[in-house]
Amino acid sequence: MDKETLIAQLKEIIKPYAKNEEALANIDENTDFINDLKINSANLVDVILDVEEKFNIVIDNESMERMLNVKSAIEIIEAKLAQG
Amino acid sequence: MIGNDIIDLQLAGQESRWQRKGFLNKLFTVQEREMILQAAVPETMVWLLWSCKEAVYKIVNRRTLTRFYAPQQFVCLTLEYNNATAAGTCWYEGQRHSFISHLTENSIHTIAVKYDSFFEHLTVYTEETAFAGIQKSQDGIPYLLSSSFSTIPVSISHHGRYYAQVSLGK
Repeated sequence: MDKETLIAQLKEIIKPYAKNEEALANIDENTDFINDLKINSANLVDVILDVEEKFNIVIDNESMERMLNVKSAIEIIEAKLAQG
Repeated sequence: MIGNDIIDLQLAGQESRWQRKGFLNKLFTVQEREMILQAAVPETMVWLLWSCKEAVYKIVNRRTLTRFYAPQQFVCLTLEYNNATAAGTCWYEGQRHSFISHLTENSIHTIAVKYDSFFEHLTVYTEETAFAGIQKSQDGIPYLLSSSFSTIPVSISHHGRYYAQVSLGK
């Protein structure tokens, strides 16, 4: 799966929780979930749970710790998918 | 050295489905989940514990200048709890922090401190609108601008209808 597709899929997941629509429209690798998209920290867990469901992966606590921006999210998803 | 977190319970109820599969498991320790399930109103306990973790995270974030999402590393022990207030300790990497929470029908406001004596020297401001004169450092740490160009560390929190701000000193 290429990066563009991954970001597009991530964008769909994030949509219900993002409070800054402009930042969501311009989402890229450098977008920060909290600072840019204004996602509530209590909703970050929903993003993580939705990612787990969508990609059928398990995000362990160590990975979750870094799930603060698009770049880390993509790295984590790619790594978990590669593990099979 | 101080951190605070305010939660608009009505908004929290709209924004989060705490009963969804995995939600409690990702955020709370086994003991905290027990406290939630045994509480008279589990939802209130969810947000009480969450506000403690957030308040202590702000203390740690100010000290380490590092951002991370590891709610389970903040371990809450609520010692006393009644309808209007809660008090206890929240631990991070073996370090003890005390917290006091004020609960109303619509909100939970938690203040955490590194040293208990700080509780007697706090300036607490809760309103519906943000306070003027806050600036953030490069690392996103908030400071209160005071006269004579000095800055005072301040913890701010904003959720739904509520805004809260806590600083040391009167």
